[in-house]
Amino acid sequence: MRPDGITRRQFLEAASALGFGAFVASATSAWGLDAIENPLARYPDRGWEDAYRDLWKYDSKFTFLCAPNDTHNCILNAYVRSGVITRIGPTMRYGEATDLEGNRASHRWDPRVCQKGLALTRRFYGDRRLRHCMVRAGFKKWVESGFPRGTDGRPPQELFDRARDEWVRATHEEAAAIVAAALENIATTYSGEAGQRLLRAQGYQDEVVAATKGAGTQTLKFRGGMPLLGMTRVFGMYRLANSMALLDAKVRGVSADQALGARGFDNYSWHTDLPPGHPMVTGQQTVEFDLNAVEHCRTLVVWGMNWITTKMPDAHWLTEARLKGTRIVVIACEYSATSSKADDAIVVRPGTTPALALGLAHVVMRDRLYDADYVRRWTDLPILVRLDTLKYLRAADVFGGEAAALANQTRVLAAGEKAPPPGRQDEMLIPTALRTEWGDYVWWDDTAGAPRPLTRDQVGARSAVGNPRLEGAVTVTLRDGRTVRCRPVFDLVREYAAHFDPKTVEEMTWAPAAAVERLARDIAAHPGTTLFAIGMGPNQFFNNDNKDRDIFLLAALTGNVGKVSGNVGSYAGNYRVALFNGVPQYINENPFDLELDPAKPARPKQYWRAESAHYYNHEHHVLRVGNRLLTGQGHIPTPSKSMWFANANSILGNVKWHYNTVVNVLPTIEMIAVNEWWWSTSCEWADVVFAVDSWAELKHPDISASVTNPFITVFPETPLRRVFDTRGDIEVLALVGQALAERTGDARFRDCWKFVDERRVDVYLQRIIDASACVAGYDFNDLHAKAKEGVPALLENRTYPKSVGYEQVTDSRPWYTKSGRLEFYRDEDEFIEAGENLPVHREPIDSTFYEPNVIVAPPHEALRPKGPRDYGVPESDLSCETRQGRNVVKTWAETKATRHPLAADGYRFVFHTPKYRHGAHTMPIDTDMIAMLFGPFGDIYRHDKRMPFVAEGYVDMNPADARELGVEDGDYVWIDSDPSDRPFRGWQKNARDYKFSRLLCRARYYPGTPRGITRMWFNMYGATPGSVEGQASRADGLAKNPRTNYQAMFRSGSHQSATRGWLKPTWMTDSLVRKELFGQQLGKGFLPDVHCPTGAPRESIVKITKAEPGGLEGVGLWRPAKLGLRPGYETEGMKRYLAGELAGGGDGKEKA
Amino acid sequence: MARVRNWQIGREMSYWYPEARPERQFAAVFDTNKCISCQTCTVACKTTWTSGKGQEYMLWNNVETKPYGFYPLGWDLQLLEKLGGQSWKDGRYEGSTLFEAAAAGERVLGWRPEEIDYAHPNVGEDDCAGPPIETGADLELPHDRWFFYLARICNHCTYPACLASCPRASIYKRPEDGIVLIDQGRCRGYQECVKACPYKKVFFNPMTGTSEKCIACFPKFEMGLQPQCFVNCIGKIRFAGHVSTPENARADNPIDYLVHVRKVALPLYPQFGLEPNVYYVPPIHVPRRFLHQMFGPGVDAAIETYRGAADDANLAGLFCLFGATERVVPRWKRSGDTVIGMEEDGTEIVRVPLREPVFVRQAFDATHRVTRTNTP
Repeated sequence: MRPDGITRRQFLEAASALGFGAFVASATSAWGLDAIENPLARYPDRGWEDAYRDLWKYDSKFTFLCAPNDTHNCILNAYVRSGVITRIGPTMRYGEATDLEGNRASHRWDPRVCQKGLALTRRFYGDRRLRHCMVRAGFKKWVESGFPRGTDGRPPQELFDRARDEWVRATHEEAAAIVAAALENIATTYSGEAGQRLLRAQGYQDEVVAATKGAGTQTLKFRGGMPLLGMTRVFGMYRLANSMALLDAKVRGVSADQALGARGFDNYSWHTDLPPGHPMVTGQQTVEFDLNAVEHCRTLVVWGMNWITTKMPDAHWLTEARLKGTRIVVIACEYSATSSKADDAIVVRPGTTPALALGLAHVVMRDRLYDADYVRRWTDLPILVRLDTLKYLRAADVFGGEAAALANQTRVLAAGEKAPPPGRQDEMLIPTALRTEWGDYVWWDDTAGAPRPLTRDQVGARSAVGNPRLEGAVTVTLRDGRTVRCRPVFDLVREYAAHFDPKTVEEMTWAPAAAVERLARDIAAHPGTTLFAIGMGPNQFFNNDNKDRDIFLLAALTGNVGKVSGNVGSYAGNYRVALFNGVPQYINENPFDLELDPAKPARPKQYWRAESAHYYNHEHHVLRVGNRLLTGQGHIPTPSKSMWFANANSILGNVKWHYNTVVNVLPTIEMIAVNEWWWSTSCEWADVVFAVDSWAELKHPDISASVTNPFITVFPETPLRRVFDTRGDIEVLALVGQALAERTGDARFRDCWKFVDERRVDVYLQRIIDASACVAGYDFNDLHAKAKEGVPALLENRTYPKSVGYEQVTDSRPWYTKSGRLEFYRDEDEFIEAGENLPVHREPIDSTFYEPNVIVAPPHEALRPKGPRDYGVPESDLSCETRQGRNVVKTWAETKATRHPLAADGYRFVFHTPKYRHGAHTMPIDTDMIAMLFGPFGDIYRHDKRMPFVAEGYVDMNPADARELGVEDGDYVWIDSDPSDRPFRGWQKNARDYKFSRLLCRARYYPGTPRGITRMWFNMYGATPGSVEGQASRADGLAKNPRTNYQAMFRSGSHQSATRGWLKPTWMTDSLVRKELFGQQLGKGFLPDVHCPTGAPRESIVKITKAEPGGLEGVGLWRPAKLGLRPGYETEGMKRYLAGELAGGGDGKEKA
Repeated sequence: MARVRNWQIGREMSYWYPEARPERQFAAVFDTNKCISCQTCTVACKTTWTSGKGQEYMLWNNVETKPYGFYPLGWDLQLLEKLGGQSWKDGRYEGSTLFEAAAAGERVLGWRPEEIDYAHPNVGEDDCAGPPIETGADLELPHDRWFFYLARICNHCTYPACLASCPRASIYKRPEDGIVLIDQGRCRGYQECVKACPYKKVFFNPMTGTSEKCIACFPKFEMGLQPQCFVNCIGKIRFAGHVSTPENARADNPIDYLVHVRKVALPLYPQFGLEPNVYYVPPIHVPRRFLHQMFGPGVDAAIETYRGAADDANLAGLFCLFGATERVVPRWKRSGDTVIGMEEDGTEIVRVPLREPVFVRQAFDATHRVTRTNTP
């Protein structure tokens, strides 16, 4: 009881019902107009201040882990009052994190939090929280009526009116039974010859049908989104996929040896986060460094990365490094947020990163500024290439003999030899068949004037490359007496890069020639001291592998790969599941041979198969151009007849080419199940939505880690009572396992989740930890106890900060490539055929003013791609599908004379969709407090009732471009992309779906973007049939689905109205050698999240048309423009303000 | 009107009440060069104090992009125009303060925003000034296309305009810490304070009929903890403490060191005459004239000092201490490459390295029989 007689409960009621001020006003004794002589000095009665002190109080606090896919993984404090989380804050205890040896992080890591995490208070209790499981009415009817199907196997269309249908509540058990029944029915339907016949009848390509191998379980797709963000509860989706082998055994009656599990979709590559050229140069997934490494570099090049908006808790490393003397260079296609922190801000044309990197490399090679020692020891640049075959010259062809025995931290696995588990692999392991396939290489010794063999052992300090020929051709006599002309890789690349002189590069990339010269010289002048932080921007273009290869070229020439102070990093997504490379213990535990003793390790056997989700996104087509199949055999997808995913809105709700996916792909999928705690766009389009716990309610702890910081972070089990009828993600999997056990009579489906049922997921977690190279030695229960106190632990990588390549450079350990070196030449057939044996520049495939996807090159004897005619396609065919496999070479002079095929129709704006500070993907931008701050149009009271929400999507345009179109600042505009397939194929004859698919948004005058370049943030929720219906039918005019409360931030369409899926041949080879996902073993071809398609969602050329004036209710100018406070509308006073003329602060002496 | 001493303008000035400085004055340093406009401060404040009805639009803490960002619309532009051209000479302000420029019968020169002026709290986000970009660009310091982020809270002024303007004397300055509060029991919602505050950091709540403002999280500050917008600042731009008058400045007080000793942090619109107590390190990439207009004549020296931090371990070190602890750090020192924050009595609160170290582990961990790698 408080002195004024008000209990805390009354306080809370008053405070929540009336707002704080009302309470205070009523609770404080009003007093008369006492004489207050000087309130600066004395104030008579301050008892009312207790009201604020009371508001600050809380009953208890606990920690939870906030881990959207942003790489930060913040353990946060939740403050509880009367059982409700009232606010959230940082623990301030990252500075207490230690490793097993006693090394300790500093408090400079604190605080770790952001506005999105703080706003979760309004989300845990928000009106889009899943209160219970939901099943779509039509789907329920389909299941309950025994899965009726047409002659081709298709379910009745009228039961699949997704996103418009009614929803029915269900218990978790009911929902699990429905999903289990559907999984069994779909697997049965599409098994055997009968199943294949149905799939063919439904129009799937032959190779896609054949890929199922007759197992219906192969048409079941599972995805735990970003599974590093929950090693058991998210990765559990793949464990479930593995257990589908039990279903196959029952359905097809096959043995455990022949059974096939389900398919699991990729993550890092699906999100276009994988930089696909990293494995092409280094043989492994990605090179990066923890962001605190910038403390140690002389120059930081932030390239296509809006660091301060997407790496917010680690932005201070950048600003503090700058304070201490690091030069910050920011390369962006606008004057970005991060540009404002740059010492040197370079603005470029989007999608031209390969050209800019080549231009910088050219200056370094032209003036011989390169780090010659690094080039000799660490790169393939001295290696000879044969000009007859365009293959590397093999040592066996010159010197004879077998492939050399390898001894440098490497072991060749004999045929049939079983490798140790991934977390216990110390040496690099190469299967003997692979080893013999590529053999050894040759360099030319200029001192002796003779060729020399080179093995992959000979790298770094072990390199024998003394005085290599780098420039000019040589003639080599082969063992059989023939001679062959060869050139070193360096020479081939040098000749190619010479096309990219600074003046040409300025024309191509818009980076001023002087800046190119200066930056190249600066980087080269101090080898090994530049960190390149490459963002998602350049990676979302079709030429993303070219970009990686060219940036690595620049970095290697300047000694900047694999050093703490000099390295390349790619920043997109939190992906390196191999930080827990013992995870096969869990996901691949053999379902036929489960280990039920908590003290013993599991016996993994993988039955599920990975697949790139890009084929689902591409209407299940592989890439075929003319007569040529350009998707490698190892990549071929199966039809997706069921899709169940967790922890993601990106696979459906915010999918690339979203509107084509929901209109043209979803009708072919028979069940879509989603685990969610917040009603997302994906839920709108689903059949079954399982209501799961938020991070604040987890009852089963879990674990995570990050690629940008050194912390192991546990998701603690929390004391908060479940607010609604939810279960843990992992419990939902167990429930479905149980339902399958009941349906099939096979108890192993249930046993698979034994330790979930017993609330002992620590058993699975400890098995993973014990088997993982970078965390072995930790006890999960200790980590958990610390996390409950707000303290993480440090990963046991080789270094703090992590810096990929450290072992290579420091221990002279070969890279995971064929040559053991950083490889800039690719001699596989697919690359030669594509004209990408050299690290070339291709123009963007859509986001260009010129002919799309042209290989910009001078005549070059090593570039001999197969062109359209070789594939039986007309040279003039620039349709989107054909364009993907179009290998046409043009010089820059020729290229710049071309035009994008849609230019004549008014499609003249590059439209790109980067991520921004207000959302981690779509989380939590539909929260009022976050949305009102998102951009210029936020308005918590929605003065203009046309607004779909308290904020809305907008496109940023150069003011001069907008004026040419008659578009004023703040107007609504239509944005249309290639009408052949966007927003969806067939929109011309489908007005019903076009109504919610066409993009309508505000336009903003944005002086920081170049002419012709427009930008829309990626993070906002798109329109659905329900949101459009809501805006028309609701009294408040919100774009909110009356049936689901789904809240869109567009009146119609979204940023994904203009994107589509893209497949590039070099992403889909069968021949690229790369390390396996876990451990040290090499393999080749398809590998999820390493070598497979990435898509290119920043590729879009659009037409923009004025829709409505921006003023209130559609009348006149948007108010801030009308008042003269906006760029291009400045009043005289505003102009004087901008010029600093409204106060002479500088003693009248004006400076710069 | 009384005559009071305002060290920020280098002279005496007129004020409604006689000078009465608190025992200690709450103060803060904000480094604009580190601000990332993430709005974590804004949301930390909002979830803590202003989530009630009538408070929806209210941001006691806000971050705006200068020069096109305003919350509310045109807040500083309006007043600068009303005040007219002003000038400084040798660190002394030659023009009129808002108290001196007030019309007859008014206590402060001010203006009252319309309700709709608060509608777009992040208008101007990332909009740059200067000629629009045509194609490419290469900008070196200072940038000729530019913007910067300005985080703003109540300045807890030594001479608050809100306090001076209140006809009921419901606004006071706490003698123990100088925090300025509006008595929620006594306020009758006349909104003179809303009109008077040049920073527009007093907000009218139509549900309660009272005006509200930032309270510097005094319930925390009284416990020796930094306010919410400081602890949640992930740009690590903020440091809270107490500022002395120049003649009493102590180099081991972090705020005094930055404000008085190094003069690297400057008041916002000192010419208004309120002696505001949030001090800003000006952005080094912005044209100087704009900064002179906003932060007064100390800008050039402040930027020169800040840019010298690379060779100045004390200055760089103190900035690395920002955001390292929730506690208020009244004293600090540097010892080699370590910076230490202390209580008044010298008890250590926190220590941080000037450069985060590199640890290299054994390639083979013999204890756990496992290889520790960066490429697992």
